[in-house]
Amino acid sequence: MQAAQTYADVNRDVLRPLFKPTPLWAGALALDLVVLAFGAYCWAHQLEWGLGVAGYTPPVFWGVYITTFVFWVGIGHAGTLISAILFLFRARWRTGIYRASEAMTIFAVITAALFPIIHVGRAWYVFFLFPYPNQRELWPNFKSPLVWDVFAINTYLITSTVFFIIGLIPDIAAVRDGSTGLIRKVYNLLCLGWRGTDNQWRHYMAAYGFFAALCTPLVLSVHSVVSWDFAMAQTAGWHSTLFPPYFVAGAIFSGCAMVITLLVPLSKIFEWEEYINVWHFEHLAKLCLLTGSVLTYSYGIEHFIAWYSDNPYEWGIFVDRATGNYSWVFATMVFCNCLAPLIWWSKKMRTNLYVLFGVSLLINVGMWFERYNIIASSLAHQFDPGAWVYYQPTWVEMGILAGSFAWFGMWFLLFVKLMPAVAIAEIKEAMRPPLKHDHVEAA
Amino acid sequence: MSDNVKGVFAHLDSLLTGIARVRKAGYNDFTVTSPLPRHEIEEAIYDGMPSPVRWWTMTGGLIGGSGGFTLASLSSAVWPMALPGGKPVVSVPAFFVVTFECTVLLAGLFTLLGLLFHCRLPSLNLDIEVQDPRFSLDRFGLIVHGAGAKRAEIAKLLHDAGAEEVANAEASHG
Repeated sequence: MQAAQTYADVNRDVLRPLFKPTPLWAGALALDLVVLAFGAYCWAHQLEWGLGVAGYTPPVFWGVYITTFVFWVGIGHAGTLISAILFLFRARWRTGIYRASEAMTIFAVITAALFPIIHVGRAWYVFFLFPYPNQRELWPNFKSPLVWDVFAINTYLITSTVFFIIGLIPDIAAVRDGSTGLIRKVYNLLCLGWRGTDNQWRHYMAAYGFFAALCTPLVLSVHSVVSWDFAMAQTAGWHSTLFPPYFVAGAIFSGCAMVITLLVPLSKIFEWEEYINVWHFEHLAKLCLLTGSVLTYSYGIEHFIAWYSDNPYEWGIFVDRATGNYSWVFATMVFCNCLAPLIWWSKKMRTNLYVLFGVSLLINVGMWFERYNIIASSLAHQFDPGAWVYYQPTWVEMGILAGSFAWFGMWFLLFVKLMPAVAIAEIKEAMRPPLKHDHVEAA
Repeated sequence: MSDNVKGVFAHLDSLLTGIARVRKAGYNDFTVTSPLPRHEIEEAIYDGMPSPVRWWTMTGGLIGGSGGFTLASLSSAVWPMALPGGKPVVSVPAFFVVTFECTVLLAGLFTLLGLLFHCRLPSLNLDIEVQDPRFSLDRFGLIVHGAGAKRAEIAKLLHDAGAEEVANAEASHG
């Protein structure tokens, strides 16, 4: 690929893959839709027969669905971290990857939002989750972490989506200006008629900065609130003040790994190595090393505190996790999250695209199992030994889990063909501006 | 015939020179278009005056924060029969999360409204609004409005500043 020397080169490179479905892209989308159809069938089966088709075994009523909900919310962390926090820190390496990461965030949160609906079984009652006046004697309990979660997830989804769309507007205008006919009209509608005037850029940059500042605490708060879904309960293995930082670190860890998983093939297939390359992936790998270390420390400290507290229920659950029915889940989690990323301490390994891609996949697997380990094992091994059970997911739950990946993948595949997945205006900002004399006449 | 004069610039420093000369000559009714935000352009035109969007953000944050806390408090006050964990009816730590989330949500939505209002968006009339597709590609534009009889003078001024093309333009105020 020819290197980008001018602003026009950036438009050329970024807009080139748009609207042209290649056989690889079409094949990936077709396969994705088949898996999605199977996931939809599984959900339809559950709607017809009820939650009995899931593997719920009393007292375990939170299983794969809540695990997957927390997993996707966690994945949704990296995009806003990269687009907002790294913007405020003026981290130059964010420029090439932030648009695709933000898209990943939005699609991950949209995917997560499906799971409370699926989890309640009778999906038509999902509005019970929202606090509304209690004409039906449903008391809106603002002291419940589940209500906090409704506010946290929806605020995160809405604010991140607006931030994402605002970032897209000037680039959609660039697509419009490079096209004709119906596409031009549609993209003019989508960019609201953006013209890039001095007045517009002035307010745009101010608003963008404010959005970055508003999204920054959200990145840290949303998974803290999700962690309180567990930590505010008395259940052994959940009731810990460690949970918010532990969950936030895990979310950033898994989110950055997912960015690597998505962008390594994307940069290759679209020939965007100049904009998304090993330099970016190495920074992401370093961020994974940092957050993975925090996560490993958290695993260690929660076991230590369980032992040190001398609380038999607390210590019992942690021994059971490592040695009981769920020991294979625990072992998978420790291998994927604590051991596998250690290979990235070697510069050679964290700059090798195959290693980056492989380890990022392992981290995704490990982080799903981490949530499964927390949720299923704690509920299956509570205070009364008479109620100890072994919850195992059914094909319906696993089908819906697979369908969630297909749902996420569908949005991402459509996005990369319909929108500029690299931020054109910001790439230009990072370039040296075209100058004639290297000096400006005084006003 | 259009009453605007449009200069197309390939270089940022030429554009800034053009802005400085246009202002020096007493023309303050002009629009600059560019494919990317540059602080030099903002400083050359607005002399460091900040965007009023910040007031929208603050207003939204205040409404959201007070509204969120009020929603939670009044809900608890209206239905005080259940007090989980013996917490008071109005429990500040428990309501902090909702207050915080509503603060951020409304601050964000008000920022969006402020942005749309001050940028005069949506503005979908392609023929009038979009003067030149090069302005989202690699060229800067300086469009002087209401040139009237001084068209030739302004055109020369833009040309001398380094504009690679000077022409009449269909443009509205941005």
